[in-house]
Amino acid sequence: MASGYEDKIMSPSVWHPRDTTEAWTFKKLLDSDAIYVAGGTLLRTQWESGLAAVPKHLIDLSSIPGLTGIEKKEDSLAIGALTTLGQCRKDPDVLQHSPLLVEAVRSIAASSVRNLATIGGNIVSRVGDSLPVFIVCQAEFEWNTGLSPMTEDASEWVERLQVQLPKASHLLTRVHLPLFRETDLVPKRFGAFHKVGRREAFTPSLVTVAINGGMKPDGKIADIRIAVGGGQTIPHRLVAVEKILKGQIPNRELLGEAYHAVMNGYRPKSDPFATDDYRKKTAANLIITEIWKTYSEWADGGREPDGAY
Amino acid sequence: MINKSLAERRSDKELECEINGQPMSLEVPPTRRLLAILRDDLQLTGTKVSCEIGRCGACMVLVDGRPVNSCLTMAYQCQGKKITTIEGIGQDEVDPIQQCFLEEGGYQCGYCTPGMIVSVKALLDDNRDPGIEDIEEALSGNLCRCTGYGGIVRSVHKAVQLRRNSS
Repeated sequence: MASGYEDKIMSPSVWHPRDTTEAWTFKKLLDSDAIYVAGGTLLRTQWESGLAAVPKHLIDLSSIPGLTGIEKKEDSLAIGALTTLGQCRKDPDVLQHSPLLVEAVRSIAASSVRNLATIGGNIVSRVGDSLPVFIVCQAEFEWNTGLSPMTEDASEWVERLQVQLPKASHLLTRVHLPLFRETDLVPKRFGAFHKVGRREAFTPSLVTVAINGGMKPDGKIADIRIAVGGGQTIPHRLVAVEKILKGQIPNRELLGEAYHAVMNGYRPKSDPFATDDYRKKTAANLIITEIWKTYSEWADGGREPDGAY
Repeated sequence: MINKSLAERRSDKELECEINGQPMSLEVPPTRRLLAILRDDLQLTGTKVSCEIGRCGACMVLVDGRPVNSCLTMAYQCQGKKITTIEGIGQDEVDPIQQCFLEEGGYQCGYCTPGMIVSVKALLDDNRDPGIEDIEEALSGNLCRCTGYGGIVRSVHKAVQLRRNSS
């Protein structure tokens, strides 16, 4: 299969910019004949399968110093866009402060692919499994736009993707991932990431779900963000579900209402492997189960309260 | 128009790297796959070709000690790197990992075995005492179409035990 493509794939010129401005300049000069390449794993599979044409020019981002690595700041983690998924998976600060991201990254491909693939590449693919986590954790994406750096909330970025493609010249440089801490007002933080595929490991996702929330001392949900994606679905928030749950103590009626809101709010793309109805039910079951599990664990050390769902 | 300064940033066709401990200087296009370089240019055919989209792990090699799929890796990504293929593991004598695969029936048709051995080598170099979850995660990108996973996992456990005893 690939041998036919080999000659075509062999032909592109590869450019190694010294900084992000130079990378942006290459992109502006070479325009649609060129693409940015980080780890190149997704691109390579698209070229091999004929899903995407091999461009005439590749702009290699790995040559740019300063785009890799993870820095712990007071209230956030700054993750360079060229940091590999493998580095994210094993970074001590990510392991300690962002189990959601660890879980998401662990579910992406296999460790050998994660040694090449980057967090930036996963994001700009627009359907990467890390995106729901960045949405619910209110991450900010930092871009080089050629003029000045631009920072954009992850959920606003994906919302914009629903209506327009991102500018091909914009270059993701860094992800700022806020850290959530328990406080007197919100003494319990909770979160979950689930990926459902057709097999246990190294599987494309059918449904992905990420939840990040906090619970007040009285058991009311103080804040909650929920995002869903999977397959070729661009992940998005379930704002209506969040509104139903916020400020409430989970019970049978409330969770029933939230279940229907997931079914109505999730907009998955179906494919020959799974219908959109299957995906909706899967997402709704995962979300409601997680919220109930969290509340049950909190309420009297796991004892089910009155009105249990 | 690309000016002279930017033009200098173009990849040339010379790849300089180390393969199985040997410094190499190869004239190849910068996007040529490492898999093709190893098998077709250098006749290192222990690295197997199969899915060619990073799913099966038959073409696994170590780049600077970390496992990567050589079908997904381009020549320019290997510039200055140390590459180890199955031929570089146990060059002088059978590697203990290979010996464990022999003793525990980790081979059936054998096609996936080089990739499996490379992945296990990377795992044990990184983690001397992996649990079953670590083993499953490390081998999740290596498929055995004979489905001989029982023997493979047994082989890895034995290799872990050997390392534990030797340390």
